[in-house]
Amino acid sequence: MFCRNQTARATVARGSALEMEIRRGKFRKIHLFFGVSVTHTHAHIIRLRDTECPCVLAALSSQPYLIYKAHWVDKTFNAWVAEMKGIIGPLLSNLQPVAFTDLRIPLMWKDTEYFKNKGELHRCAVFCLLQLGEEIFDTDMVIVDRTLTDICFDNTIVFSEASPGFELRVELYSCCSEDDYSAGSTPRKLASKLSSSLGRSAGKKLRAAMEPGPCSPVSNGVGAPLLLPVPSVPGPKYHLLAHTTLSLSHVQDSFRTHDLIISEECSYWLPLYGSVCCRLAAQPHCMTQQMMSGCLKVKQCGGDPQSWTKVHAVLKGTSLFCYYRQEDVEANVEPAFTIGINKETRIRASEKDPLSKVQNICISNHYGGEEVTHTVTTDSREETHRWMEAFWQHFYDMSQWKQCCDDLMKIELPSPRKPAPITPKQGSLYHEMVIESSDDLSSTVSDILARRMQELELRSQLGTSPTWMSAFEESNARCTGRSRHCTRMSGHSPCTPHRLPRSPVSPHRCPQLGLLSSDASLTSDSDSHCSTSPCSHHHGWPEPTSSYSLLSSSPSRLRPRTLSLDAKLSTLRGRGYGGGGTFQCSCQPPPSSLLAPLPISTRSPRSKHSTQTTLSCSSSTSSNSSSNSEGSHSPESSEGGPFSRPSPARRSLRNLRARLDPRNWLQSQV
Amino acid sequence: MSFVPGQPVTAVVERVEIQKLRQGENLILGFSIGGGIDQDPGQNPFSEDKSDKGIYVTRISPKGPADLAGLKIGDKIMQVNGWDMTMVTHDQARKKLTKKKEDVVRLLVTRKSLEDAVKHSKCSYAKH
Repeated sequence: MFCRNQTARATVARGSALEMEIRRGKFRKIHLFFGVSVTHTHAHIIRLRDTECPCVLAALSSQPYLIYKAHWVDKTFNAWVAEMKGIIGPLLSNLQPVAFTDLRIPLMWKDTEYFKNKGELHRCAVFCLLQLGEEIFDTDMVIVDRTLTDICFDNTIVFSEASPGFELRVELYSCCSEDDYSAGSTPRKLASKLSSSLGRSAGKKLRAAMEPGPCSPVSNGVGAPLLLPVPSVPGPKYHLLAHTTLSLSHVQDSFRTHDLIISEECSYWLPLYGSVCCRLAAQPHCMTQQMMSGCLKVKQCGGDPQSWTKVHAVLKGTSLFCYYRQEDVEANVEPAFTIGINKETRIRASEKDPLSKVQNICISNHYGGEEVTHTVTTDSREETHRWMEAFWQHFYDMSQWKQCCDDLMKIELPSPRKPAPITPKQGSLYHEMVIESSDDLSSTVSDILARRMQELELRSQLGTSPTWMSAFEESNARCTGRSRHCTRMSGHSPCTPHRLPRSPVSPHRCPQLGLLSSDASLTSDSDSHCSTSPCSHHHGWPEPTSSYSLLSSSPSRLRPRTLSLDAKLSTLRGRGYGGGGTFQCSCQPPPSSLLAPLPISTRSPRSKHSTQTTLSCSSSTSSNSSSNSEGSHSPESSEGGPFSRPSPARRSLRNLRARLDPRNWLQSQV
Repeated sequence: MSFVPGQPVTAVVERVEIQKLRQGENLILGFSIGGGIDQDPGQNPFSEDKSDKGIYVTRISPKGPADLAGLKIGDKIMQVNGWDMTMVTHDQARKKLTKKKEDVVRLLVTRKSLEDAVKHSKCSYAKH
């Protein structure tokens, strides 16, 4: 295998600052060998800053700043550096661009955040710091609240100089804000808020301390805004939430998930899921640039020993492209042929050709099961030497960059800043659930019901056609949105008790109760619910709005729907709840009391004030009616009796109250 | 009175039969209910277990039918005329109580004092 054995020694000039450092024992001196094995070591050159004595510091693997004695006698600095670069140059070429894109950090909010959280949206401002070597980038600031499921950063960050052994440190910082901060004005708002909040007690002291004296002409008036002493770090403080370190092994052409190390004791805490997703791609130069080009003569093994093909060869990426003419390269013409140069390729220098006294280079590849060898030669020994060097360097690069050299990874350089597209304010996943009026849904339900109806009619002896069906259809046009709710509701209700179809919608049907306005005592009772209630827990209880808000089946009737989903399903409410009541009942499977497979138990003896204490198993499943010897099936299942409307004034009041926050606890008068 | 999913719910219940009172067009029972599986159980002032989503009696109109029948405030309604009330929404519960064609409702209600009474009687029995 081709290798070089060259040592370069460097000496440090006397009296230099560097020498002083060395003397202090901070650095160790070793020799730099260029016969570098391909398994480890990489080198890059950092120029020592701020010294009058420039030196080459080469860092080998993890040991930073080991100085190599620079042999620079009789040479000016630049020439010396050039020479060093010439020697170390190949090793320098390991600084490659690495791109970090599509950073996304998933969050894991608890359900209590959504359903029990009455407070305002707690918002956090977060950003990420990405550090690789000497380059540090930060992402844009993102405001995170519980409506987001992931923290997404759209930035594309390209580190231009990364060595194969790079360590990319990703850090997530956050600053929680209780109020509605906008990203840009945070410092100003914070300052103003603090200044105003300090106004009373602490502010007085502070003001007094700040005032030079009562008769000072510059003393602040009482009403003047308090001037804060300039904080050492203006602006909000950010705390490290989590971090992780990525390296070459994490580089991949696609989106990958990595673990995050979450910091402890964070008061400004976000429920991080614990991983970060990103795309980390690297484009080593060996994949993107021409490593070597020149004239070669290629002969395929097994062919005519004298048939050398003269080509202009370009070593780039994973192949050696051979063009007939040099112009073809720029013309983007397809190469004449391509010799693969990858990890499995074997290159060796063959015996000296007795004729031309130039070594041949044999390139062997395995294509399929076969081994194909190309023999390449040049015109001069120096050329051969250079090509061998180039091959060697290429192999070295590929071994360093490992998986990055299998295929070219695309890196999009960040384009010049376009104004961020103004997206409409993203609502919470849970707040904006648009339930479209889909006719399909209602027709599905009506299909189900039609089928049931047919079953009923076959078996039932009721005779009356299920008039609820007509009611359904009548309201169908109005409240298609409700049907969706109904299908959901039917899942809740007990399904085994068979019930008769309900009576049709009557204009006066009012399933909710309202008290007669004529009954003064009762209405006053209900009016002043809070005051006369025997229970002392007032604050948690709203007015029993449900009973009063409901009127007869007017299309605009509002049902105080209390759903486990967020209240902003008001789109449902708005869409004609008029048929809501009917909907609901008609969605339940039409019963058939005569055909109930469950035994209808005899009625218990009527006792008006029966207060027997019984031990009974009340199963919470819907088959309780069979196990319960007490109950009897409802013979009929019509809706609640008609109730008169409350007076218009009270109705409007109740309507207002009807817009219930679902988190309040609903009560109904029966 | 909390339930374990998958296990039958057991409770000491009392039978309360309420005759509905007709007031013109309406049939009223004279009490208010709260709760339901669609409600926030944490707001229930009567439940012992704050995750109990059952239907509770929140108010009794004095001298109303429910009061006369012996219903007490804070009772948890387990059944209404055979219909289960432990796993229903608020509106479903209300509907079961306000059936137009029924003029009597038979409730199975439970309250803490009932459980205690049974336990107490059990204990006293065990003593003997």
